[in-house]
Amino acid sequence: MSVTASAVIKRFGAFTALDGISLAAREGEFLALLGPSGSGKTTLLRILAGLEFPDSGSISIGGVDMSDRPARDRQVGFVFQQYALFRHMTVADNIGFGLTVRPRKTRPPRAEIDRRVAELLELVQLPALGGRYPAQLSGGQRQRVALARALAVEPRLLLLDEPFGALDAKVRKDLRRWLRAVHDRTGLTSIFVTHDQEEALDLADRVVVMDHGRIEQIDTPEQVWERPATAFVCDFLGGANRVVAHAVAGQIDIAGVRLPNRAPAMPDGPASAFIRPHEFALAAPGAAGIAVVLRRILRTGAQAALETETRDGSVIEVTIAAPPEGLAPGAALVLVPQTVRAYPA
Amino acid sequence: MSAAPARPTGEPRWLRWLLITVALMFLGLNLALPLAAVFVEGLRKGVAAYAAAITTPDAVSALKLTLTVAAIAVPLNIVIGLAASWAIAKFDFRFKSVLVTLIDLPFSVSPVVSGLIYVLLFGLQGWFGAALRDQDIQVIFAVPGLVLATIFITFPFVARELIPLMEEQGREEEEAALSLGASGLSTFWHVTLPNVRWGLLYGVLLCNARAMGEFGAVSVVSGHIRGRTNTLPLHIEILYNEYNFAAAFAVASLLAGLALVTLVLKSLLEWRFAGQLAGRGH
Repeated sequence: MSVTASAVIKRFGAFTALDGISLAAREGEFLALLGPSGSGKTTLLRILAGLEFPDSGSISIGGVDMSDRPARDRQVGFVFQQYALFRHMTVADNIGFGLTVRPRKTRPPRAEIDRRVAELLELVQLPALGGRYPAQLSGGQRQRVALARALAVEPRLLLLDEPFGALDAKVRKDLRRWLRAVHDRTGLTSIFVTHDQEEALDLADRVVVMDHGRIEQIDTPEQVWERPATAFVCDFLGGANRVVAHAVAGQIDIAGVRLPNRAPAMPDGPASAFIRPHEFALAAPGAAGIAVVLRRILRTGAQAALETETRDGSVIEVTIAAPPEGLAPGAALVLVPQTVRAYPA
Repeated sequence: MSAAPARPTGEPRWLRWLLITVALMFLGLNLALPLAAVFVEGLRKGVAAYAAAITTPDAVSALKLTLTVAAIAVPLNIVIGLAASWAIAKFDFRFKSVLVTLIDLPFSVSPVVSGLIYVLLFGLQGWFGAALRDQDIQVIFAVPGLVLATIFITFPFVARELIPLMEEQGREEEEAALSLGASGLSTFWHVTLPNVRWGLLYGVLLCNARAMGEFGAVSVVSGHIRGRTNTLPLHIEILYNEYNFAAAFAVASLLAGLALVTLVLKSLLEWRFAGQLAGRGH
């Protein structure tokens, strides 16, 4: 089912959590809401679920306006960061809850509920654990039960709030791939919230980058990575070195090196340039580029990471495939940017 | 773990014994000894006198009245306490802190004042006194007054027990239930209530113990009419003031017995549902 939010504004007292958000998820799409804490991504998710209501703006699901409808009428599956399993119920009762509480007229017979619960336990790969209590499960198992419980009511839309936030790295990665497989199998429109850019880029069809209650960019993971729309997005994706530059005649000038701008075009003038660690070449002193002194070399497998320092004391990280022979801390180098993304400073 | 002197958090043996002895002596002197004294004094003049004291018409009537008052006040306070704590822990509204403070009021006000409030409101000279008399309704010096005073005094027990528990459990389970299509009422019935049932039971037991044992407020509104408005605590005081110590202690042992029964009941329930207790929480 498609989902649209139009011009949604939400304030909590003096704090503006959402400052005019508009976005649309297509039928069957897997969307990531990515941003730092306080960016409003969880608030947006809760508004889509009907757990919060916007001060202004509207929400529609499947083309029907849902702005004033409470959570129970929206047929939206919600998976909480801390799972929110019913602690006094067994796993099977948790999963069957949404069906059991239906009014008598629409409630499936007990045998049908049991069959559906068994099917979902199979789907989340926990067939033998129906009789356990949530407290007796590991974090990853609880998260899968929470997902099964949300899927049991056959929602039109699946919302996940930091679904992997409370799990350790290994479980995270497995569960991530598994969730994507479940999504592809069910074809359910899904929106998940994360502050982990790797997770968003790895998992989503499109990524919505948010900051301070506004959307900075909505794009495919490739586009978000290759052409970040704003300095915030480029910075938030992580790893990039920020250097002072100038936009001159549509090109970016960094310490005498002129390159085309990979970011959206900007007017001439002072610029903040972002260069990722692998986007440098090394040159001997005297060449055009950023003059630095090598501070440390970290060899990580096939690559080497160089920590260098410019004359004004700022640190630039560089990764190269093979460091030249005899390179040692203290050596003077020139860094030649190969690609650059620059934004008005 | 008894012979492990190297435990980093362990205390020397003599200190452990000292602390345990002090705690046990304190409990013995302040709890066990007085409780035993009540029964011993009650039985001083023999079993026959004991039986006679607790079966006088006044004593039986006082027992009945005490149970009646508790039977009305406790269920009402369960309902009001649950409603108040549900509202406070799971919803945001204006003047919430005022409500929280009001709930504590009966604890901070002297019971005598609590009783006087009702006399001032419903007594013959009180605000509603004339209106009530015209309708032939008697509140003060009658059962309704006793029930009102008892509800007021015991109101905080259920709510105070439940509010911190519900606040600690948060709202996510309720939100999950709502998003799964449950109505507000079935969310309360299937999610909120089962999660707090042990806290609720504990609150109810404390509430009940106080409802049966309350003296001050009840004393003010009762009028001490023997056989009609005397509850057990008031009856005990009358007997004591008449130097009828054996009878006073005999009736007191009845009250203490009621308290012990509620405690045993609680332990039985906990034992019976130990499995479910183990399954709760994280």
